Amino acid sequence: MWLTLIFLIIGIVLGLLTDFRIPEIYENYLSIAVLAAFDTLIGGIRSHLEHKFDEKVFVTGFFANVSLAALLAFVGVQLGIDLYLAAVFAFGVRLFNNIALIRRHLLVKLENNTRQKKSKI
Amino acid sequence: MLLAFVSLLAGLMVAVLFQSNQTTEVRDTRDLWEVRTDLREEQLKQQNLYKQIRDAEIIIEQYEGKSDREKLETLKESVNVLKEKAGLTEIKGKGLVIRVNPLYQDLQFGQVYPTVPPELLHRLINELNTYGANNIAIANERYTSITPIRSVNEYTYVNNHPLPPLPMEIKVLASDVEKLLDYMQVSRVNDYFAVENLELEYDIEHNLTLPKYDQSIDFKWLNSADFDETGES
Repeated sequence: MWLTLIFLIIGIVLGLLTDFRIPEIYENYLSIAVLAAFDTLIGGIRSHLEHKFDEKVFVTGFFANVSLAALLAFVGVQLGIDLYLAAVFAFGVRLFNNIALIRRHLLVKLENNTRQKKSKI
Repeated sequence: MLLAFVSLLAGLMVAVLFQSNQTTEVRDTRDLWEVRTDLREEQLKQQNLYKQIRDAEIIIEQYEGKSDREKLETLKESVNVLKEKAGLTEIKGKGLVIRVNPLYQDLQFGQVYPTVPPELLHRLINELNTYGANNIAIANERYTSITPIRSVNEYTYVNNHPLPPLPMEIKVLASDVEKLLDYMQVSRVNDYFAVENLELEYDIEHNLTLPKYDQSIDFKWLNSADFDETGES
């Protein structure tokens, strides 16, 4: 989990250092891609904590989510409906769910640790 | 490891999105001289507005505290002034005559007789108005603020009348005709007309008469503003 955080920071630093900008019309797509990436990341961390992490599921989930969200946004733009909001909503809900699960896992872990220490004493 | 790679990707995307959303702040880079000229322009505008207010106040004064007869006189005067402004009266004065002539090139295959497209006329009128023209008449059609210039079946119509074949005259009255002439002689409009095989020829005339706008103005789409009208008291 620490590796993930470190690489996230490395990625942000790299992105800031390259000073790369994208045109305004593609900002919607990128924002959705970012959300999808975060969703996959947090989901990955959760499954890792639950000892259910599967590389195949993780990679396919990442690319499938990103491309589906982009497709949705594209269709939305063509139809004049803000369909990307659907993706934002779905990803947002899942993000919160996963973060809540991770928090509970960590809490349980913490409790177990303190209990073990007490029992040792 | 895979998690780390995806997080790297996510970080990259976040950074790019962040940078794309960052707008550069607009800075005031004018130097002292530019600020001064801008200030001067604004002051001129202010003076102009003050002058307009003073004129309006004088008219109000004339309305108030005078006999009905005098009120009527003032009203008639106002109507005449407004008519003049709207282009409903003939107007005389020193002005610029722009002759639009066909420009013949030495072409091997002959040349179509040129006409003036509406876009060019629009451009010319914009240019004239920019450089201080007060009244314009295009080939004996007075140009008012509601004059349509458009293409009907490939003929150019002004005030719903077709333009005569070339050469034709455009008459312009201005407060400073010499300056207008100087501006127009170096204007890009000449080039635009040349592209359409047209040539502009400028002349200053001291006794120029502009015809009046002889159709009725359609007030169908006009609404009165929400304040008391002048002379309603």
